[in-house]
Amino acid sequence: MFRRDWTGRNPVSKCIIGSLVMGADSDPGAPSAVPWRKVLYERQPFPDNYVDRRFLEELRRNVGVRRYRYWPVVREAGLVTQQLSCVAAFLTLWWYMYQGQLYPFTLLLAGLLCALLGYGLYEALGGPRTEGRTRLADLQSAAIFLAFTFGFSPVLKTLTESVSTDTVYAMSALMLLAHLVTFPYAQPSPPGSLSLNAALFGSVCLASRLPGALHTFAMVTCALLVFALWPCLLHRLRDRAPRGFPWAAALVSLGGIGGLASQSPGGAVLLALAQLALTLLCPLLLLWLQEHKDNIHGPWDEAEIHEDLSRFLQ
Amino acid sequence: MVLKIFFPRCCNMADSGLLIGHWLPGQDSAVVLAVVHYPFIPGQVKRYLSQLQNESRVELAVLGSWSMPKEGQEGMESFLRDLSTIFPRGRWLQLSREMGKRGFTCQVVHRDGELPRGEGENCKGDNGDGGGVIFIHYDQRKSQPLFLTDKYDDGPLKLTHWQSEGREASIIVELAKQASVPLCLLLTWLLSLWTWLCSSRLLNLPPVRLVSSKLSTCVQLSYRTEHLQTVSSPKRALGHAEFMRKANIFVSFFVDVALGLLLISWLYRENRISRLANTLVPVADRVAKELQELLQWLMGAPAGFKMNRALDEVLGRFFLYHIHLWISYIHLMSPFIESLLWYMGLCACLGLTFALSVLSDIVALLTFHIYCFYVYGARLYCLKIYGLSSLWRLFRGKKWNVLRQRVDSCSYDLDQLFIGTLLFTILLFLLPTTALYYLVFTLLRLVVVLFQGLIHLSVDFINSFPLFAMGLRLCRPYRLAEGVKFRVLCEEPGKPLHLLMEINPLQYGSVLQWYRTPTYNCYPKDSWAALCKKLFVGELVYPWRQKGTKTD
Amino acid sequence: MADDEKFTDINGKVIFLACQNHSSFCREFTVSAPKVSLRHIMMYTCSVWLVAYIVFFLTENTAVLSGAIFVTLVGMLLHIHFVKIDHETLLIIGSLGVQVSSSYASGRESTTFIEMSKIKDIVINEAIYMQRVIYYLCILLKDPSDPDTLSSVVPLFQSSKPRLNCLVKVYQSCQEILAQC
Repeated sequence: MFRRDWTGRNPVSKCIIGSLVMGADSDPGAPSAVPWRKVLYERQPFPDNYVDRRFLEELRRNVGVRRYRYWPVVREAGLVTQQLSCVAAFLTLWWYMYQGQLYPFTLLLAGLLCALLGYGLYEALGGPRTEGRTRLADLQSAAIFLAFTFGFSPVLKTLTESVSTDTVYAMSALMLLAHLVTFPYAQPSPPGSLSLNAALFGSVCLASRLPGALHTFAMVTCALLVFALWPCLLHRLRDRAPRGFPWAAALVSLGGIGGLASQSPGGAVLLALAQLALTLLCPLLLLWLQEHKDNIHGPWDEAEIHEDLSRFLQ
Repeated sequence: MVLKIFFPRCCNMADSGLLIGHWLPGQDSAVVLAVVHYPFIPGQVKRYLSQLQNESRVELAVLGSWSMPKEGQEGMESFLRDLSTIFPRGRWLQLSREMGKRGFTCQVVHRDGELPRGEGENCKGDNGDGGGVIFIHYDQRKSQPLFLTDKYDDGPLKLTHWQSEGREASIIVELAKQASVPLCLLLTWLLSLWTWLCSSRLLNLPPVRLVSSKLSTCVQLSYRTEHLQTVSSPKRALGHAEFMRKANIFVSFFVDVALGLLLISWLYRENRISRLANTLVPVADRVAKELQELLQWLMGAPAGFKMNRALDEVLGRFFLYHIHLWISYIHLMSPFIESLLWYMGLCACLGLTFALSVLSDIVALLTFHIYCFYVYGARLYCLKIYGLSSLWRLFRGKKWNVLRQRVDSCSYDLDQLFIGTLLFTILLFLLPTTALYYLVFTLLRLVVVLFQGLIHLSVDFINSFPLFAMGLRLCRPYRLAEGVKFRVLCEEPGKPLHLLMEINPLQYGSVLQWYRTPTYNCYPKDSWAALCKKLFVGELVYPWRQKGTKTD
Repeated sequence: MADDEKFTDINGKVIFLACQNHSSFCREFTVSAPKVSLRHIMMYTCSVWLVAYIVFFLTENTAVLSGAIFVTLVGMLLHIHFVKIDHETLLIIGSLGVQVSSSYASGRESTTFIEMSKIKDIVINEAIYMQRVIYYLCILLKDPSDPDTLSSVVPLFQSSKPRLNCLVKVYQSCQEILAQC
């Protein structure tokens, strides 16, 4: 009965158990006068790979598995959805800038307003402060961001001039995708290095196609707000105000869809469908798959092959 | 054991007589050195031998008798046997030839047993003690301390041994030997003056030393000083290796100077110097013009590369300005070039190597702008590569752990990440521009380095080629022996085995390897892979060896 | 005295072993490889000339053709002077030493003489060669400072590489002579 359950689970451990059991089976006429004991310090009249029939009694399955429930999973999936929406919102903003329908000054003002509001909210929510981070340090960081971005924006502006637009788009898409894939959804507070760097790289690429240096500056600042600071605020929100978090996530998701809808309705529909699937269908799929989970644990070590391949290279 | 008799080839056809030579203790072999002919007085022979022994410190003895059959000299057997009582030894050899046969026969008479041990006819190993005799014929060479008499000298005894075909030019050699001592002393004095001059305070200031270690003329000068010091030391060369080293240096020095004089005699005729000077300036001008065009090309869109326009222009203008400076410098120099060349050409009387070194230095000085471009390009590129590699680690959230020499993960602050990414993006997009400039200037530099390397290689070849050893190998192959080789001479049934021992001369390759004068080029260099890695990372590549790497 | 027998080398090509008995303590073994085959020469020459002719056809430069002739000649000279070994000789003289010489197809000869006092023994050894195991005859040399240890090994018949049956014949004769002294 057990053997049928092992099929295709873990080929290595299956192999080991198979051979062990075969050792037991292939030796039915072993002298049973001395009972077999699972010790190494005694000489016993059994072959080395011998185990008796009690071996599989120690088999345990699905140790430490938490059963999920549907709505908490949906709630957590909201984080993924809103991140997707963030990217969509950023792309929408960029598109507006590119078309010239949005002035950099407006964007900067809105960004400043959002940043102040967010900072206020962040402080109001309270919570543990990181060591050594005073308000002055925050201000200093903000000054560094602004100064560097402003100083480098003319350079950034000319950076991709000679590179063809298609290449830039492809690179940005790749980088934003990498951002979404590597984003640390479980612990978003200090945004993961790779995800943040990928997002910033992608946004710098996009920003360098904009018509002016100020545009670039505004766009990079916006990227900083969306990809670096917003996850921090959201994490604080999830920790301190668990009730408000789903509403905030839903708001952002809807905002992203709405923003995209103003430029391309088709894209908005696609985004909405994707978000729906992510929030509602994927948790269902997870719950359904969890029923099939079958993990075995037992008194054996899984075989691991540590082949040192470097000697073949010489 | 087999008895081995080393027999000189010159005594093959000698008249009958006594064999003079010595036994090699413990090896069961006898070396025959000469044959004393009849008639002789035994007392005279003994006196002669003791006299020779005193002079040459070689233990000489009468080994046995030698009989060469001639008409009217039969019936010597008993006489020969009686001789063994006059010269008492442990063993007495009786060698004899027969008419019309090539091989010798040998009889060994033991003093104690009085019986002939192995007779020629049956010394083929089938008699009881399994012994035998091997004749090894050898060429005598240079046995001067033993037999100083020439062929036509008349002594109390008549001898057959190796004689030189006369001592041609021995007076000149003697004169040269006599003259060489004061000459060496003079040379040593001059050299010590020169080294004192070189070691003075003024020439040992750091900048002077730096420049002189980079100029190949100065390096060559120090080589030559070292060589001349070796040659002119009044001490006798102790071993073979030291003698060969001295002789090689001496000969190569002379050849070098002769080639240099030849060059001078060609160069200073028909106004060739001024013609050379007149072509040199236009050539330098032309190179600068070509470089300008190359830069103009690079400032456009070279080969369809996507360069950053702003950086491209900045770099291009910078280099153009540099070339402008260079051209004006050349024009400033041009009136003096001819006289400069004239004086520099005089260097060639010190040797061809000096002329080549001066040429290498001139090339280095005339292509200084290329070197500058290369250094700027390489530094810029190197900076970018290092920056990119560390920022790429930051991009992935890793950092280099210096203590453990590995890459660790690290959590950065927001502002660090932001600025790092910004710089990474900028560097990445500017890299192709810098890399292209670097590539072009590196290629130019490599051409110059290749040319200089060729010159250095030829200078080194002249410096280190063992001319004397090669000449010796060519004319007197037996003087440079690797070992001996044997050839089976004749095998007549019933006769002892005759072998011919010849000198096995050294192969030319090993002559070159052993007698080469060591120079910097003999030491292992960077491999090609290391060079490629250096080029890729942007480290500077030099044609000369760093002085510190000289070991041994 | 001399007896010719057919043997093969490790690749199955026919080689000849000539064994000459100069005296009871002096023997000479000569292993001769087959001569340079005309077919190979033709093949190489033709391929070089074909390539040269193709290049000539493309560039219409006659220097290519003369270059090809030059290359073929020089290549053949170098081959017979430095590569192709015609026969290898082992001369063993009791109480004197062993002389190993190999003569090239051009007549050039390279000889090494090893004194008997340096020789520890002559043995047949195995070696892994490409993907197979071959036998070879070798002289073991003593370390002059410590006569019990080996200092180096001199392989014999390196270019002709005869098979075991041939090696055994040489080995037995050598051991006979070595045993005498």
